Amino acid sequence: MGFLTDVFHWFTASAHWHGTNGIPHRLYEHTAMSLGATAAAIAIALPLGVLLGHGGRHGVGGRIGVNISNLGRAVPSLGILYFLAVAIGLRGYPGFGARPALVAMVALAIPPIVTNTYIGVGDVDPEAREAAVGMGMTGWQVLRRVELPLALPLVMAGIRTSAVQVVATATLAALTAWGGLGRYIVDGFSQFDNVQLFSGALLVALLAIVTEVVLGVVQRGLTPGGLEPRGQSGKPEAGEPAAQPAVLAPPT
Amino acid sequence: MRFNRGVAIGATVLSLALVAGACGSSGDGDKTSSGTSSTSSGPKPSIKVGAFNFSESAILANMYAKALAAKGYKTSVRANLGNREVVAPALEKGEIDLYAGYAATDLEFFNKAAGQATGDAASNATKLNAILRPKGLEALEPSPAADQNSFAVTKATADKYKLKTLSDVAPVAGQLVLGGPPECPTRPFCQPGLEKTYGLKFKSFRPLDPGGPLTKAALEKGDIDIGLVFSSDGAIVAKNWVVLDDNKHLQNADNVIPLIRTKVATTEVKSILNDVDSKLTTDDLTKLNKRADVDKEDPDALAQEWLKDHGFI
Repeated sequence: MGFLTDVFHWFTASAHWHGTNGIPHRLYEHTAMSLGATAAAIAIALPLGVLLGHGGRHGVGGRIGVNISNLGRAVPSLGILYFLAVAIGLRGYPGFGARPALVAMVALAIPPIVTNTYIGVGDVDPEAREAAVGMGMTGWQVLRRVELPLALPLVMAGIRTSAVQVVATATLAALTAWGGLGRYIVDGFSQFDNVQLFSGALLVALLAIVTEVVLGVVQRGLTPGGLEPRGQSGKPEAGEPAAQPAVLAPPT
Repeated sequence: MRFNRGVAIGATVLSLALVAGACGSSGDGDKTSSGTSSTSSGPKPSIKVGAFNFSESAILANMYAKALAAKGYKTSVRANLGNREVVAPALEKGEIDLYAGYAATDLEFFNKAAGQATGDAASNATKLNAILRPKGLEALEPSPAADQNSFAVTKATADKYKLKTLSDVAPVAGQLVLGGPPECPTRPFCQPGLEKTYGLKFKSFRPLDPGGPLTKAALEKGDIDIGLVFSSDGAIVAKNWVVLDDNKHLQNADNVIPLIRTKVATTEVKSILNDVDSKLTTDDLTKLNKRADVDKEDPDALAQEWLKDHGFI
């Protein structure tokens, strides 16, 4: 009980609500970093996923692209952070230590968005696609009016996964002198201040949950009416044509 | 989602191989060297020298072992045992007989961080011995060589502001950015101590690491102006940095000091070890560390060379 009381006092102490090390400022930094990194990742990953998935998942190129993107998941964020901190330094816009963190977070956020967009766009029912072509739609129109709306739930699921990962992982940036909520965790650990450490972890967990919930609401809002929500894993239904090996898929 | 099974299996095998390789690389460094001139005065004890998991400790352990071996002792070096939480209990249990400790840090380890350490190495050694003796251990004489917290600036900064000691920093501190471990703002040896003892109020503080690669990179790149480094760090020589003299003794004296089991601490053993220690300087250590850490030379060979240069072998 004593520990939780200390945590409560940490949150109610007015010193923790002012200045550059106060909760509002750290929360702002953390949110800004997460938003910026996720937005940049969307800008890179969404066109890539669309490009790979457009017209169905039967190209070898698509599989190679997604596998390369998935390899990105194996790159440790901490490794990128430390490497860039030493290689490019910590100074410069948009703040001390922010650039290595931003790059690491963008790299972290790209693979889920690429994969989900690729699967979402690529796994659109071929009959719907053929019907659109039969109606005389151009490739661009098929993409914009059929493939993208149908892929949206899966694309949003990818963005949501990335955003939550980024919120949780941006804490690492405190190891390379940047701010954010990770500051409390890293400083608390270094200063043997478990109350500060725990409070910081609590704030990060709360922010991640809020991110998950808000993006979940956005996702539901964007899902076209009448479309059954599919599993987040992007697993196609059994028997769906796309479940066959792509090389054996009949040409459209 | 579909996976190419061959690729998946290949990747799994590869990652397992990487893990196995990483595991296999530990646990080396158990070298044995025996004396060449073991002629006189009956059987001499066999001495196992332990070392922490950094190269300075390996160099010191090899120096002790080789100096003893030259006088006919059978010695072995157990390098890279780990941190003090591993090495100190190993000494108490007799798994090793000797290691190169540090006067203040070992005192604070054995007294469970009671805060007895000071800037005076001899007094730290006396207090350390009071704790060690009942355990069947003892600390010998502290070396002039020390590996302790210190504050460094680049040569350019030192020249620009004419800095030699920490006191010199006071008039310009407001223009300088301090970098150090995240605990620095709350530790008496760091920011609060610099402020209280030297009146240094820096422009800002950047939380990095305790004398590690981040601090060194930040200092080199000019991301910070003054950084906490360890006084014997090889980077000081390699980068031509200036360590500011702690002229008001803010830091605890972490001089190198042999910690040894009383059972093997004969008069001759003590005199050999004290002799090595008395000839070793912080400057020597910094240069040896630079060659081990920056130039990747073998600690064993570096110890051999130093002993040869100083007439021990």
